[in-house]
Amino acid sequence: MLLVLSEEHKEHLGFLSEVDPAVVGEFGRIAVEFLKKGSNPKIYEGAARKLNVSSESIQHGVEGLMYLLTESSKLMISEVDFQDSVLVLGFSEELNKLLLQLYLDNGKEIRQILSKLAPSLPHYRNLEWRLDVQLASRALRHQVKPTVTLKLHLEDGAQRSAHVLQTDPATLQHLIHELERALAELKSNHCRRILRNIK
Amino acid sequence: MEFSDSVMKGLQTLADPNVFDQKSFTIFTEVAFDSLVSPRGESVLGHPELKHIDQTNLKHCHTAATTFILEGVKQNADKSTISSCLEDVRFQNERVDTFYNSFQKNKRNLESLLSSIDTCPPHITDAEWRLEYCIKNSHVHKVNQPSYLISLNTERAGTSSEINFNCTMEQLQDLVGKMKDAAKSLERATQS
Repeated sequence: MLLVLSEEHKEHLGFLSEVDPAVVGEFGRIAVEFLKKGSNPKIYEGAARKLNVSSESIQHGVEGLMYLLTESSKLMISEVDFQDSVLVLGFSEELNKLLLQLYLDNGKEIRQILSKLAPSLPHYRNLEWRLDVQLASRALRHQVKPTVTLKLHLEDGAQRSAHVLQTDPATLQHLIHELERALAELKSNHCRRILRNIK
Repeated sequence: MEFSDSVMKGLQTLADPNVFDQKSFTIFTEVAFDSLVSPRGESVLGHPELKHIDQTNLKHCHTAATTFILEGVKQNADKSTISSCLEDVRFQNERVDTFYNSFQKNKRNLESLLSSIDTCPPHITDAEWRLEYCIKNSHVHKVNQPSYLISLNTERAGTSSEINFNCTMEQLQDLVGKMKDAAKSLERATQS
């Protein structure tokens, strides 16, 4: 599957063929840094002065690289497809190799970063439990009521939450039974077939 | 068991055969227990068999009787405690017996009623699950990962609510493993 690059995008990336491959390598490193940690416009100023070009060209070049990498990672295109897509930019052999290496080295990590952007519910982090026996309350003395107190830790992006919950021994058994059924379902023939065939 | 003056007075009135004859007393006792156990039971006030008794007195006696009953259940009072309390307010032996028999009959239900009046963290009642296979989303294509959506139904003071979360197979295994540890500990604790 080939990446289709817009005219504007090709123009921005065109700047890269005017500079040293070493510089392109540096831009590539900067692009990946920005994807991981967020962009820092000051770097554009410094590079612009050193190369004697407008900081806007630098910005376009780096952002063009970022977009190229994110799109390729998102679609998880193969090596061959990446090379073919980049061919259309008319870069030198050396530059193409550099870009391919950049993609192969960082593709996985970029995918992980992208997947954090996807909509999701809080997901499970940890479960703590405690066994208690209730002996008395304001309303009733002389009790012997076993209870299980649970602390469910969830995480939603950067936010962590903990829910303190309680249950009784019978319900605990029921929960275990139900959730084991859920786990077993993944191993059923139906699920195995789907997982195998949709790749 | 200690009671306020108002409760003691109410019980004394209940003991008085001039106010409550034996039949009225028996009916009153039954209705009093009933009003605690089944919230939609017949009310003491306006009860056809108790109409001849002054309604203010009746209400006072009902409050006193129900307070006495609940305190008895709360403290898990035995026969001698209840009998001596009732004798202190001049209950005749026959009335003590009638009262105590009703007490025994309803004790279990009243105990569960009182034990359910509790402040506690939300109580889990059920777990629902959904197994999904994510193919792609707007940010990443070719995800191809199964995932579970778990919904825990909880209840607190009559209102129910839910906690929803995602997990992978490994995370669900971790969750179930920990729950099983808790259940095993529980079993060991009950056996020792």
